[in-house]
Amino acid sequence: MTVLVGFLPTPQGEAAFDAAITEAQRRAEPLLLVNSPRGGAPISAEAADERTIADLTERARRAGVQLHLHTSAHTGELADHLLRTAEEVTASVIVIGLRKRSPVGKLFLGSTAQRILLDADRPVLAVKPHTGTPGATLS
Amino acid sequence: MNTGPAAGPEPAGGTAPTGGSAPAVGAVPVDDRPPPAGPAANLIAAAVVVVLGVTAITGSLAFGAGSPSQPGPGTWPLIIGVVLVVLGLALATQARQPGQAERFTRGSLLVVAAVSSMVAYVACIATIGFEIPTFLLAFVWLKFLGKESWRLSILTSLGIVVAFYALFVGALDVTIPHLF
Amino acid sequence: MSEVIDGFAVVLEPTNLLYCLVGVVIGMLIGVLPGLGPAATIAILLPLTFGLEPVTAIIMLAGIFYGAQYGGTITSVLLRLPGEASSVVTVFDGHALARQGRAGTALGIAAIGSFVGGTLAIVALTFVAPLVAEFALDFGPPEYTALALLGILLVSTISSGGRLRALTAAAIGLLLATVGRDDFTSAERFTLGNLSLADGLDFVPIAMGLFGLGEILYNLEERHRTVHAPATVANVWPSRTDLKQSGGAIGRGSVLGFFLGILPGGGAVLASLAAYALEKRRSKHPERFGNGAIEGVAAPETANNAAATSSFIPLLSLGIPANATMAVIFGALLIQGVTPGPQLITENPELFWGVVNSMYLGNILLLIMSIPLVGLFVRILRIRATVLAPITVLITLVGAYTVNNSVFDIGLVIAFGVLGYLMKKAGFDPGPMVLAFVLGSLLETSLRRSLLLFDGDPTGFVTRPISGVLLAVLIAVILLPAAQLLRRRTQAAPPATAAASLTGATQEPGPAPAAEAEAAATTPATTTTADRTIRREEPHP
Repeated sequence: MTVLVGFLPTPQGEAAFDAAITEAQRRAEPLLLVNSPRGGAPISAEAADERTIADLTERARRAGVQLHLHTSAHTGELADHLLRTAEEVTASVIVIGLRKRSPVGKLFLGSTAQRILLDADRPVLAVKPHTGTPGATLS
Repeated sequence: MNTGPAAGPEPAGGTAPTGGSAPAVGAVPVDDRPPPAGPAANLIAAAVVVVLGVTAITGSLAFGAGSPSQPGPGTWPLIIGVVLVVLGLALATQARQPGQAERFTRGSLLVVAAVSSMVAYVACIATIGFEIPTFLLAFVWLKFLGKESWRLSILTSLGIVVAFYALFVGALDVTIPHLF
Repeated sequence: MSEVIDGFAVVLEPTNLLYCLVGVVIGMLIGVLPGLGPAATIAILLPLTFGLEPVTAIIMLAGIFYGAQYGGTITSVLLRLPGEASSVVTVFDGHALARQGRAGTALGIAAIGSFVGGTLAIVALTFVAPLVAEFALDFGPPEYTALALLGILLVSTISSGGRLRALTAAAIGLLLATVGRDDFTSAERFTLGNLSLADGLDFVPIAMGLFGLGEILYNLEERHRTVHAPATVANVWPSRTDLKQSGGAIGRGSVLGFFLGILPGGGAVLASLAAYALEKRRSKHPERFGNGAIEGVAAPETANNAAATSSFIPLLSLGIPANATMAVIFGALLIQGVTPGPQLITENPELFWGVVNSMYLGNILLLIMSIPLVGLFVRILRIRATVLAPITVLITLVGAYTVNNSVFDIGLVIAFGVLGYLMKKAGFDPGPMVLAFVLGSLLETSLRRSLLLFDGDPTGFVTRPISGVLLAVLIAVILLPAAQLLRRRTQAAPPATAAASLTGATQEPGPAPAAEAEAAATTPATTTTADRTIRREEPHP
């Protein structure tokens, strides 16, 4: 059993990571960080760079949480990939960050978070960035 | 001597457990080519080459092989045919070696689908103009071959048709069958 | 001399200026983007050249070719992912510099080196090409036979998939060239009674299908590749120290690149490897290489641009394409009704000098644009292949139609696309096939004329001085791999330091490019599928 966090290099992703650390401490479980950019291009804004990964690793170490990384690219929908991974590692909870969307926006834009919330067969913890964070809303 | 990234975890498909021995998940090889083909595939390729060579030889003999001092239309194809047969046999002897050939994978089905879509495109274009087949082909490639989202697929396909229309019919004034 | 000046007048015509810019930008783009390479792109754009003047068309196509050499550097430095085969070596020190926060320096020195190398090569070309053309005016059929054979053989040597397969592909290309009416006797060969085949197979659909569509289909099969976070480039220009340090490397790279580019089959890839090896061997601190030695970027980038330029010499002054990209440009010239050969300079001086002089302009444009555009290219790199593929395919299909306003041509392109895909799956490089197809009728005509000349006596080839020399080179090239095999068995130690260090571990894009770098540096005969992993233009360079 492990805590799984879907990470993006965004304020939402950071918030999710913090929440996931707390969760992993609480459950005394290891933490699996999934940062899986969409494959097919050499560069993706979803991929976290080395410095970020190193920083996250350090934070996990200081919190006493055992961290595993899964950074390979995926094809298709990220939500499917996360859910499949959760199944493979028998995650006890999936932690994700939420983006602000207007109600109209939710109609047209596929929401990974929405898919996960609706399709997951295990608990999902969805967090928003801390208030006071100069929250950048992603396009 | 270059030894790769100096510090930090490999940002590419590896896993970096920080302490503990829990198994890493999802370590995918960095560049994952399809597996090499077995000797059967190499033999088939070699056989095709030999057959081509034999065809060339028989064909050239029919035209008249000529002679070194009086080269005829068949002389050159005869030479090529012989060379092909020799090369084909050489390839056959090498068939066991792990060559550069690749095995067909499930991804190869994508290629089949792609070619079918292109054939369908050719079939329609003369009758209904290029706009609709272009939209459909782009949409199929984006949505089904590329697994992109609905929004992206539809919008991009529309964009392509518009751009092509502006470019080919508008700017370049090419005589391509168009509906609008 | 006045023709050279007139050439500049041609270049400065607005249309030609525009298409030079277009070519160079497209070249940089495809050099940056994984997937298509210059040969494939030029093939796909062939229909576009129909409506253009010959000069304009070739100016654009040439721009695509040498522009791609620069584009490939960007991903090499920033992502450790070579955009072109000729940028593989740049990865070692270029990416190391990027990790040290000096990506801008690396890119800057690469741009400067490319500019210097390209410009020096053009100057040299200006003098060498007319000399070669004049010398070649004395060439008779035997010389052309030997030259064409040599070209095909040398290209096969450098091909991916190994010599045997490359030669097979070339032989098939030669066979395809025989389809149609025989020039000498008007007998119909392999036409199967089909009227449209009586005129022979059309080059354009073959090139578009084998290179363009074949490459796209091949790329459809999933290959897991690393995805990187967006890279930012702090624009730090090379310092004066950097420039001084690289000066020698740039100079040597230019010369080396120029000479290696002239060789058929040689070209940009070989030049970049050789230049790197040379610098490393010359260096008093060879251990710096691989860790951010500025010469390690300057040398290969200078050499590959110089070689890309000089590889035009065999095409423009002899009429023999030196590599597969040149073969496609050869085809483009034929389409325009221009027959490349030694007489090109004298009969079409505006074309020759227009193209040559446009390269000065192109290099200047590249130098100016390359650094500011890096940020843009990094953003373009986010576009997924799944989006680029349908766009490229549709351009190809629609373009195929416009050649003859015939739907049949689209079908032909698709058929050859499938063939190209199958060939690549089976490990055969389509490059030698296209090259051989383009040279096929020249080779056959020369051979038959030679045999008539010698009255059937093949020793005539040897007794004529020039063809004798060429044949000697031919035999040397054939025997070279056997000799090296023997040498390696008897030698205990691995070959020179350069090759050994080139096998330095690169975890991505995988050992293949490094291995190919080593292989090509020591044994031109052995090849690995570097072009698989980097999937640039399949024929090198």
